[in-house]
Amino acid sequence: MKKTLISLLIVAISSFSAFAAPVSGQKAPEFSGKTMTGETISLSDFVGKPVVLEWTNHECPYVGKHYNSGNMQKTQRALTEEGAVWISIASSAPGKHGYITADLAQELTTSRGSYTNHFILDPEGTIGRMYNATSTPHMYIIDEKGTLVYQGAIDDIPSASVRSLPKATNLVLQAWKELKAGEPVSEPHTSSYGCAIKY
Amino acid sequence: MITMRELSKKTLTLATVLLGITGAFSNAVTATDLGTVEASHSKATLISEYSSAAAGETIWVGLELTPREGWHSYWKNYGDSGAAPIFEWVLPEGVTAGDALYPTPHRMPIGPLMNYGYEAPSTLLVPLTFDSGYTANALPIELIVEWLVCEIECVPQEGTWSGSLPVGDLSYDEGARSFFTDARDQLPEMAIWTADLTVYPAQSRLKVYAGADEIGTVKEAYFYPEGEGITEYAAAQQWASSPDGFFVDMVRTEGGLEANSGKGILVITSEDDQDRAYEIDAELKVEALPAAGSSNATPPQVNADFPLWQAGLFALLGGLVLNLMPCVFPVLSLKAFSFIAANSKTAGERKQEGWAYTAGIWVSFMIIVSALLIIKSSGTAIGWGFQLQEPAFVGALVLIMVLVALSLSGMFNIQVGVEGAGQQLASQDGNKGAFFQGVLATLVATPCTAPLMAPAIGFALTQSAPVVFLIFSLLAFGLALPFLALSYSPALARLMPRPGPWMEKLKEALAFPMYLTAAWLLYVFTLQAGATATLALLVAIIIAIFGVWLWQAFSGRVGKAIAVIIMISAASAIIIQPFGGSPVSNPVETASDITPYTEEALAELLADDETVFAYFSAEWCITCKVNEQVALFTDETQALFAQKGIRVMKGDWTNRNAEIAEILARYGRAGVPLYLLFPKGQSEAIVLPEILTPGIVADAIANI
Repeated sequence: MKKTLISLLIVAISSFSAFAAPVSGQKAPEFSGKTMTGETISLSDFVGKPVVLEWTNHECPYVGKHYNSGNMQKTQRALTEEGAVWISIASSAPGKHGYITADLAQELTTSRGSYTNHFILDPEGTIGRMYNATSTPHMYIIDEKGTLVYQGAIDDIPSASVRSLPKATNLVLQAWKELKAGEPVSEPHTSSYGCAIKY
Repeated sequence: MITMRELSKKTLTLATVLLGITGAFSNAVTATDLGTVEASHSKATLISEYSSAAAGETIWVGLELTPREGWHSYWKNYGDSGAAPIFEWVLPEGVTAGDALYPTPHRMPIGPLMNYGYEAPSTLLVPLTFDSGYTANALPIELIVEWLVCEIECVPQEGTWSGSLPVGDLSYDEGARSFFTDARDQLPEMAIWTADLTVYPAQSRLKVYAGADEIGTVKEAYFYPEGEGITEYAAAQQWASSPDGFFVDMVRTEGGLEANSGKGILVITSEDDQDRAYEIDAELKVEALPAAGSSNATPPQVNADFPLWQAGLFALLGGLVLNLMPCVFPVLSLKAFSFIAANSKTAGERKQEGWAYTAGIWVSFMIIVSALLIIKSSGTAIGWGFQLQEPAFVGALVLIMVLVALSLSGMFNIQVGVEGAGQQLASQDGNKGAFFQGVLATLVATPCTAPLMAPAIGFALTQSAPVVFLIFSLLAFGLALPFLALSYSPALARLMPRPGPWMEKLKEALAFPMYLTAAWLLYVFTLQAGATATLALLVAIIIAIFGVWLWQAFSGRVGKAIAVIIMISAASAIIIQPFGGSPVSNPVETASDITPYTEEALAELLADDETVFAYFSAEWCITCKVNEQVALFTDETQALFAQKGIRVMKGDWTNRNAEIAEILARYGRAGVPLYLLFPKGQSEAIVLPEILTPGIVADAIANI
């Protein structure tokens, strides 16, 4: 009975904390976090440069598909070479699926040949909740003025199989090309797929 | 940790079943079993319903997914995370595979997220349609299915099937019959009702147009949207019925994905806990503007022009008005006397006492509101005044009223605060006393929810928790305000009359409204708990008074202890109610042609093209009783009803009643009274004010 009451209270309280989600076309929420190298970075540090956020979980097979096939590295390379700042974020809580230490993050970044500029460790899930990130990989593109221009999946086939890649449209690349060409992003908000983030 | 390499190793061990065209059908039962794949964390079986297909026909194949114990697979809309199964067919020209039919999913909460899927084996049915020009005598089938199973972590599964099915004469496979019958039993029924799904920025509403007899009694309804951008999956859904059907309200993420489909599955749970699932294809309407009135259970037109500041002001004024209520005023008079008497106190002490009194009121209000919110969030339909639907609470109030009245009559002094002119008490005792006077004031004020407060409370209870607490804080502040003002302003305090023997007389006189209040509450208690319980309550009260008398009569320690034991046991008998009886059915005051309110009865009358006047009342609601005597049960109004052929319905909310709580909520009220006039053939009522005069009723009737 006591337990029920407590959980009811929790439900009541959490359902009152309005579901705020970032909106494509509006200002991206400001955040700051500690990276795997121990420095603290904020979104506002990169004003004037486009920023890409990649929610990741090294234990997730969907993330695995994009790293083992080289698809994620290819996307990272294309965008960072054209001036984007790439930030990988892990929001899994300690002890949960996908929790990562600074050492392991550094090791994986090297061994996978990742082109990420920063790797933020967000074990409290503060940034993840702020951005309403639900699965890994979950991608966000913020333009140089700080406006969120894309949020959602990395591509349009919600599969864990490498076979799906040749047929898939890379939605991050598509949005990036449109942004560079000064066109409006045709699909600014898609449904992300993959493993649930273990907050 | 599962790497891709490990995964591919696992999925490479695929069972591949090849069926020859000839000679493979000696065993009829297994003939159409296209094979079982044992994947790492689940297995999948593919079965055809027909042992032989035919050109121009559609046959069905079923894929049964059985996750390992504790693991689950997903519906086509997987909720916050997950993945729907992906079918990759390689079929010859002239044969097409349709979309899979999914069984009704279940909700699976994962931390703060929600998934839709299956923890048990589930069968997806896929139609294969043959052109009439299909000439080959066999169908080669190549199929790759990718599906996801999760426990805490997720493991993608993959299966490959390749086989062949004869094509010639359509031939049903008896061996597959029970498999397909079971699979179809798990599918939702096609709903016969029309429905629309309106998506506002922060909420969505599914409205289903169905007759009351078509849906039966509904305990709970839940909508699984097929498309994205309809709802925040983890948020609770609310449903309510309306005369032309019912609706389900869902919370939506503002700025979330765009809604793309009105389809989904509606699961209706009946009173006897039977689930029925219906496939709904609702018309999707997207509204750019928020639904007026942010309540989920309130239709858009209610509260449209009721801003927060106005609700707050009403709450403050309502709190002030409460001071004048017949059951509150005598209690407050005690407080007033203590102010008059406290000339010797310093200004600081007075202020402290004023705030202690305010705190007593505020804390009591917050306790009641928190209880209300907790009970509400558990899904129980209740509203303001719910405390009075609890006989134990009413019984305790009767005792309190009688004790306060006896104290006013001079039998004894309740030692809360400073009574009696000239009595000197330490300022700390004064504060404690003032606090409990605040608590007492709140307790006795609850039956007298002033009419002004009704809309404010109704508004508040449909809002988010912070707003609710703000409104009720203002209400508490309003109730406390007169004494707070007195404690701060010596000028005001000087306006009070000088203390004297008249105070004793006035106190004694004020006992009588308290006795009357007790009598009325006793009547409410009798209706709720029955005559036996009333006798028990009266005996308990008399014993409690006896205990008080003992206390005063004996000065020794033993005598006092006995008195305390007697008082405590009498009070606990009232609260525990060991003699609880059955409620007396509520008498209908006048005309016998008043129909008791039920949703069904209302819908029936409206369907018969009747004009209906529905009123909602409770025995503990003074405003209701006054309205009924002044405006409803007058000869003129009754004659008017008869002359116009208006059917009268009464909803009695003396005891808890979910149906009545719902209609109150639908019209933006948290409590009674509510007066509704349904013009002929209309399902939306005209709402009459909380305070009725015969003129208001007559005008409303004349205007329809």
